[in-house]
Amino acid sequence: MHAADAALADEDRLRAEMYRFLAGLLLHAPESQALAGIGQLSPDSTTMGSAIGELAEVARSADAKEVSEEYEALFIGLGRGELVPFGSYYLTGFLNEKPLAKLRQTLGQLGIERREDVKEPEDHIGTLCEVMAGLIDGSYGSPADAATQKQVFTEHIAPWAGHFFADLATAQEARFYAPLGRIGAEFIRIEGQAFEME
Amino acid sequence: MARHEQDDSGTDRRGFLKLASLGSVATGAALVIGDEAEAAPVQTATDGYRETDHVKTYYAHARF
Repeated sequence: MHAADAALADEDRLRAEMYRFLAGLLLHAPESQALAGIGQLSPDSTTMGSAIGELAEVARSADAKEVSEEYEALFIGLGRGELVPFGSYYLTGFLNEKPLAKLRQTLGQLGIERREDVKEPEDHIGTLCEVMAGLIDGSYGSPADAATQKQVFTEHIAPWAGHFFADLATAQEARFYAPLGRIGAEFIRIEGQAFEME
Repeated sequence: MARHEQDDSGTDRRGFLKLASLGSVATGAALVIGDEAEAAPVQTATDGYRETDHVKTYYAHARF
């Protein structure tokens, strides 16, 4: 999919793909074609693999309209959804607070900026996953080194993403998104543990 | 290129990640989303931010 992929180590390619997978499903509800594909994923015996298996099972029994309604109830809602998937909100109880300002500073240093026509704050969990994927696979230019990845993860994702995914896993409205929450929580745990070794 | 530099510094981390069961499920999952993303140019990583319904949510909150 990306030209830089050929030069990436296997584990980095998988990390980037996992971040992009999470980003894709967190930024919008999946269309029926994507749901059909997710329905074909096969489980394995690991924590990650069993959550993937559950996600696939729900994907096979749900239609895109149902999942879209679930997405609305979870993240959009009337005024607000059951969850507010922004870092600033998780860390301070309010949107657009200091954590967002710090993130913008970091992104500025990395030369990443949002498109002008987009007003959405950058600290959306899906956006952060996209940023990590881009840093890993070089979509923003060339792959960022592990120290840079670690900095972004440690400062802007680790403090709250695990809580968010745990909330998603147990959210009342979550059916398709509950196993996705488990996948995200496990992935964030693995990433955190790995970065500690760096 | 950059890969070799990273390999030197993070051998333990890379070994851990290789064993961390990101495995084939992740690859399959990414292909699923990748197809959809390629169909819609606005979803490429460098154009990562886009107008979505979150904007509405955001403004609703910002009023408080």
